[in-house]
Amino acid sequence: MFNRLLFFLLLVPLSSFSQQCDILLSGSLFDLASNKPLEYATVYIKENNSGVKTDSLGNFSISDLCPGSYHIVFSHIGCESRQVFLKLQKDTTVLFKLEHNHKILNKVEVKGKALTTQHAESINQQQITDNANSNLTNMLTALSGVSALRNGNGIAKPVVQGLYGNRITILNNGVAQSGQQWGNDHSPEIDPMVANRIQVVKGVSALEYPGSNLGSVIIIEPSTISQDPHLHGKSTYFFETNGRMHGLNLQLQRYNPSIAWKVNGTLKKAGDRKAANYFLNNTGSREMNLALQLEKNISEKLFTELYVSTFNTSLGVLRGSHIGNITDLKSALNREVPFFTEEEFSYALESPCQQVGHHLAKLKGTYSISDHQIASVTLAAQLNDRKEFDVRRSGRSDIPALSLKQYNFFGAANYKHDFKKSIQLSSGVQISVTDNTNNPETGIMPLIPDYFSVESGAYTMLRKRNEKSFYEIGLRYDNTLQNVTAISNTIPRELVYYENIFHNVNATAGWTYRFHKNWQVNTNVGYATKNPAVNELYSAGLHQGVSGIEEGSIDLIPEKSLKSTISVNAEFGHAFSFEAMGYYQLVNNFIYLQPQKEFRTTIRGTFPVFQYEQTDARIAGFDASAEGEISENVHAKLVYSFIHGLDLTHNIPLINMPANNARLNLSYDVIKGVQLGEKRLENVEISLSNAYVFRQNNLLPEQDFVLPPDAYYLLGGSASGDIQLNKIGLRIFVRADNLLNTAYRDYLNRQRYFADDLGRSVTFGVSLKF
Amino acid sequence: MKTNIHILAILLAFVLISSCKKEDPIIPNEEEVITTLKYTLTPVGGGTAVTMTFQDLDGDGGNAPTITGGILVANTTYNGSLELLNETKTPADDITAEIQAEGDEHQFFFSSTVAGLGLAYNDQDGNGNPIGLKSTVTTTTAGNGQVTITLRHEPNKTAAGVAGGDITNAGGETDIEVTFDVDVQ
Repeated sequence: MFNRLLFFLLLVPLSSFSQQCDILLSGSLFDLASNKPLEYATVYIKENNSGVKTDSLGNFSISDLCPGSYHIVFSHIGCESRQVFLKLQKDTTVLFKLEHNHKILNKVEVKGKALTTQHAESINQQQITDNANSNLTNMLTALSGVSALRNGNGIAKPVVQGLYGNRITILNNGVAQSGQQWGNDHSPEIDPMVANRIQVVKGVSALEYPGSNLGSVIIIEPSTISQDPHLHGKSTYFFETNGRMHGLNLQLQRYNPSIAWKVNGTLKKAGDRKAANYFLNNTGSREMNLALQLEKNISEKLFTELYVSTFNTSLGVLRGSHIGNITDLKSALNREVPFFTEEEFSYALESPCQQVGHHLAKLKGTYSISDHQIASVTLAAQLNDRKEFDVRRSGRSDIPALSLKQYNFFGAANYKHDFKKSIQLSSGVQISVTDNTNNPETGIMPLIPDYFSVESGAYTMLRKRNEKSFYEIGLRYDNTLQNVTAISNTIPRELVYYENIFHNVNATAGWTYRFHKNWQVNTNVGYATKNPAVNELYSAGLHQGVSGIEEGSIDLIPEKSLKSTISVNAEFGHAFSFEAMGYYQLVNNFIYLQPQKEFRTTIRGTFPVFQYEQTDARIAGFDASAEGEISENVHAKLVYSFIHGLDLTHNIPLINMPANNARLNLSYDVIKGVQLGEKRLENVEISLSNAYVFRQNNLLPEQDFVLPPDAYYLLGGSASGDIQLNKIGLRIFVRADNLLNTAYRDYLNRQRYFADDLGRSVTFGVSLKF
Repeated sequence: MKTNIHILAILLAFVLISSCKKEDPIIPNEEEVITTLKYTLTPVGGGTAVTMTFQDLDGDGGNAPTITGGILVANTTYNGSLELLNETKTPADDITAEIQAEGDEHQFFFSSTVAGLGLAYNDQDGNGNPIGLKSTVTTTTAGNGQVTITLRHEPNKTAAGVAGGDITNAGGETDIEVTFDVDVQ
């Protein structure tokens, strides 16, 4: 925590003491990732209402300052402006580092003390603000190798290197996000606006964290409160044309030696989205989130933080995608425009829809035992409250068809010791208790039974760094207890009890080697086991969302995964940088939903039956990106992702694998800004994005109800800039998605059976920093 | 060391929480379920009524439904009447009235592969559109085949052909779709 602050700001007092207004503030600005000087960056002193620009070496100086306190704002194209509070008594030199989004080499070196040898990519605060209208998953798809499994636009869950759901871990503020992860139509219930950075570790496994992950980890990190005794904040308003979404985010914070606080709230309201040629009725959404963060240094060695957040959303589901049996599905598939499509736009939300609340409270204490040893204890409680509404008879549409409450209690103790010779040991224990209960108000037999589970685990990791290399090995053990009470599907209904105990083992080894000043290679190998989840074992019933009967298999055994990754990074000055990552994963006993040969006859007609089965699977692919400077102010970035999934036992493709895709972003920086009367629009950046998603050809026709959709191309663009108005920093941004209003369907969007994906959309936003 | 004791206490508390037994779930009251459809055909001129029945007591569960078709007499007109029941309850809930009350949101569709078999609506909702709880069946020559009865919830009753019994443009969700073997002798 403190390390990070120190890392951002190194103050070096210089020269003699002074009382007159002759203090010189000088310094340099660097890019956090590459350590390159930042030219044309703005350094603005709020108190004096004046600013300067850095020179080609990133240096600046401001003379004739009076002694006193100052708020200084540093800003540069492509990064969120940062404000520091300084008390000047004498000539001072500052060294400041800003984090950029479009320099790709922000990997291992980012942390100074690297956290992991695993490959990570992140979204910085500016990108989060500029994409304020997006949900977490849609924001993540900007990163290479990340796709979204969607049900319409609002319901989306991230897919990283082909895996999703309970196979990846989402860490919100250091706590593994709990929830009903089993459903493909369940989004992670997190407000990205609370984060100052979102990171995806595309590796083999992150042993420090609980959760049965076979691969990647998504980390949502809120920023710590900056040590500024005044009240500061940021307010962002945005409007998106498609869905006529209005959104407002407000952040306030204040540091006080006794306690530092920060609040963050978001409100969003959207109506019917629009495909290229018609409205998508009942696809609006509402969101209301609030987070409170408190930090206190109890003693010099003990730092405590409390984090409380509430996330509340209502999400509409396209009315025309709500169907009964297989006959309904077939008739929906044959339509150009979905059933129930209306001419009029509406904000109304009706059944089918979801109402989800996710509430979190976390308390963490960090104790510095010595300069080399840190221990921390985290306690957290989460409540996930999910209600799904269907179109029902006799006024029952107001009664949820699915109503679940899940409580999760989490406790962790971690210990870190830095030994000599750059060896670091980290070790910890965790326990996570989950209580999942169906509310019988639904009048419908639950799809997932009630259960109670306890996961307890311990890990240890050893890291060593030397001049050119960084090594990492780790081991983790987890014990999972599942206590399940299901209701039989026979008449009369009876309770059936199950109790399972599983043992999971994870082991990883990694090596990063800088074999040339411009070149670096990372390699990782990880072995992991994951026990079957409750839904995979005991689901029983009709899943309206997929219009199929889903059935668990009680004799599933744990999955075993072996994944290896290798990545190469290279950087040649400003001119060109390049990065490629290949991965190869074998999963033994891979659990998946297998469509059964026979359809089931019920009074509602026939339904396909999907049963959880196991097979041996292989997922292999690569993500590559290259970034270059075409001229002083024109940058280009090319990203390509390739993935191939194979069911080895049956020698057929794996379903729900993302289609290969390529993206090209071109950006133009107006380095010197634009003069607007007295004021100047700084950090102006105009960019053009091109995305091409290939057709998913790795699929057999009999593996789906329809053939995968065609390839598509989307054009987008954006423009943004900052104006410093006395004490307020104003940022304006405009972004356009699907500029050509292309009608397309995406393979990983379940809505593709019924309707086109989103048409053209333009978002306008303004953000005030004070 | 004091911290360590606290950590232990907290971990112990978690272990205690984790050893608690969870309460048994409450079995939902499945009042919306339709288990049984009875299609009773009474000859207009008098005679023995024919009843075709589809019964699936365990809903989506594993046991197959029992389906009883019907034998009709050639060159006869029948008054058809549909009855829907939820037999998971004792006594059984009559769902027919629920459909009748929400007639403007429901419509039955009849289709037949029996040569010469005519199926027509014999009732109306408040807007003058058919519901299908009452129908007329006309047989001509002998033959056999299947009759499918579909109940749609929230169909577009004003879409082309829907009032005439054509399901193509109806939309909505299927609440019932059952098929009977029919033999006209």
